[in-house]
Amino acid sequence: MTSWLCAIDHKRVGILYMLSALLFFLAGGMEAMVMRAQLAAPNLKLIAPETYNQMFTMHGTTMIFLVAMPVLTGFGVYLVPLMIGANEMALPRLGALSFWLQLLGGVLLYFSFATGAAPDAGWFSYAPLSEKAFSPGAGVDYWALALLMIGSGSVGSAINLIVTIATGRAPGMTMRLVPLFVWMTLVASVMIVFALPALAASLVMLLSDRLFFASFFDPAQGGEPLLWQHYFWIFGHPEVYIVVMPAFGMISEIIPVFSRKPIFGYPFVATSTVAIAFLSYGVWLHHMFAVALGRNFLAVFAAASMLIAVPTGMKIFSWVATMWGGDIRFTTAMLFAVAFLLEFTVGGLSGVAFAAVPVDWQVTDTYFVVAHIHYVLFGGTVFALLAGVHYWFPKMSGRMMDEKLGRWSFWLIVLGFNTAFFVQHFLGLLGMTRRIYSYPDLPWFGALNLISTAGAAILVFGILLFCANIAMSFFFGTPAGDDPWNAWTLEWAASSPPLLQNFAEVPEVRSRRPLWDQKHPEAPDWVVVRSDA
Amino acid sequence: MTRDRAQLGMAMFLMSEAVFFFLLVLAFRYFAPLPHLNSRNGWLLTILLLTSALSLWRGWRWVTIALGAAFFIGELFFLGTTFFVLADIHGLHILAGLIALAIVPASALRAMALYWYFFTAVWLVILLVASRA
Repeated sequence: MTSWLCAIDHKRVGILYMLSALLFFLAGGMEAMVMRAQLAAPNLKLIAPETYNQMFTMHGTTMIFLVAMPVLTGFGVYLVPLMIGANEMALPRLGALSFWLQLLGGVLLYFSFATGAAPDAGWFSYAPLSEKAFSPGAGVDYWALALLMIGSGSVGSAINLIVTIATGRAPGMTMRLVPLFVWMTLVASVMIVFALPALAASLVMLLSDRLFFASFFDPAQGGEPLLWQHYFWIFGHPEVYIVVMPAFGMISEIIPVFSRKPIFGYPFVATSTVAIAFLSYGVWLHHMFAVALGRNFLAVFAAASMLIAVPTGMKIFSWVATMWGGDIRFTTAMLFAVAFLLEFTVGGLSGVAFAAVPVDWQVTDTYFVVAHIHYVLFGGTVFALLAGVHYWFPKMSGRMMDEKLGRWSFWLIVLGFNTAFFVQHFLGLLGMTRRIYSYPDLPWFGALNLISTAGAAILVFGILLFCANIAMSFFFGTPAGDDPWNAWTLEWAASSPPLLQNFAEVPEVRSRRPLWDQKHPEAPDWVVVRSDA
Repeated sequence: MTRDRAQLGMAMFLMSEAVFFFLLVLAFRYFAPLPHLNSRNGWLLTILLLTSALSLWRGWRWVTIALGAAFFIGELFFLGTTFFVLADIHGLHILAGLIALAIVPASALRAMALYWYFFTAVWLVILLVASRA
């Protein structure tokens, strides 16, 4: 127990990140189920309206800051040193500090429930609603302080990953040869370093307004509420890519292995990631199209937002082209990866629709937005994560996950997710606004909401089955061996689970698939690469 | 190698801080009335901090800490009369820097020097912005 509390080894810190994220995932899921129960039928009054506001605020904040970011950081911290042939993160104690900052920030956020004043101004806490005059309770203060802690932890872990990737690579592993998961973790980390301070600046100003009588967001005293929106979304849009980039990276590792082909267009997948990162800093106004901003602003930001679809589409094509003509093995991990492709594309398409300003004006703040973000973040990030868990669990635990249970949970999650969220597109188009506590019995509203709630229940069942699979496989799974998938990257050269020192000796890396070279000395990748270059 | 890692890590951290202070200074410049720092006290403090940065460049750790502490106390007492969030946040970073300077091993001094130069520069920017307000 003490050895885990004091852990600085990257594998232990990584697992701590993942376990804490799983815990908060269950909490955030319960909040979602409370909301879906309240919305199951028109004019229901299961919970108080104030409680409902707390539920959607805590659900959003939890899923973004306490689930998506930590679990991706956890995978990064666990896998990056193994993938680049290092034995440790570059700054191990910073790694432990970052984790505990993140966890204690989460504890602080949830402590607000105990005081009876959970935050209730939404996960983006728009001013002036979040100002003292309209949110007099301590909830928003807890929210802001907790996010400052969590954000500091994220920046710390991002710096650690950047320094590790910059200085810890095995001999011969140039940046053109690192696995794509490492590439995308690097890009996401750089984005964290440049985006999180915008959130920190917003939070400092909000706290100054609330606690120290400043007036940044108070127009009566020369402040400007829109400043909050600008600063929050300067952080907030890159944040969307921060929580999806490493997921892209996982997909880029899993699809090639189960298609028995190297990734199609490695340079395009890597550089399109950098393109997305740059573009993501120039699109924040598309969260603010409903604010009167002037036609030229709208046109520029609409164009930039649509432009992001190009590098993202390139990736989708690369993954599909990797599968094309491959010898595909539909393991549970691969099933989740393929479902990711389909669902993320749905979320991407509704995203492009939003970039068209008139469409945005029509559906902004409706359930269409809720459907879109869940297709991107659940259909995208979470499905990639589920693929990643099934793929790397044998490495982390030394045991295989049960394929039969895996398939059951896969189909339940796919069915539940799509039932819950696809109908919300229609609810949005019909005009149901998000964040309302209850709704009148308008045509279709009751039926579609009931379908959505039923889907959410199926989804919960699937997730619980997945958790049960993890627990059972951890104790009773068949031993995995070092390389159960016949994969190509260096983490599969370490033992399962890896020893404290990952590698007794690190081979010189000469291609993108060092383990392939080791297994096939008669036809190593680097021969082909060299003759190309 | 360890030294390189510490410096690279510090450089990344300071980039994050640069964005943070850029956005804060921007917001202060436009939305909040700034007190006049263009006073005798303001310049005295500036000289203290610049001298401390110079002494750290020479490698005199404890001289830096003494001068930095004098700056920090001055920042608290001379500027505290007008409430001024930006200076307070800068002051918190100076305090954290003083603690770090006092406890880090000698191998980390070069990384800490980066930190100290950076927040000296941030102070100059704050002074510049406040003088023009």
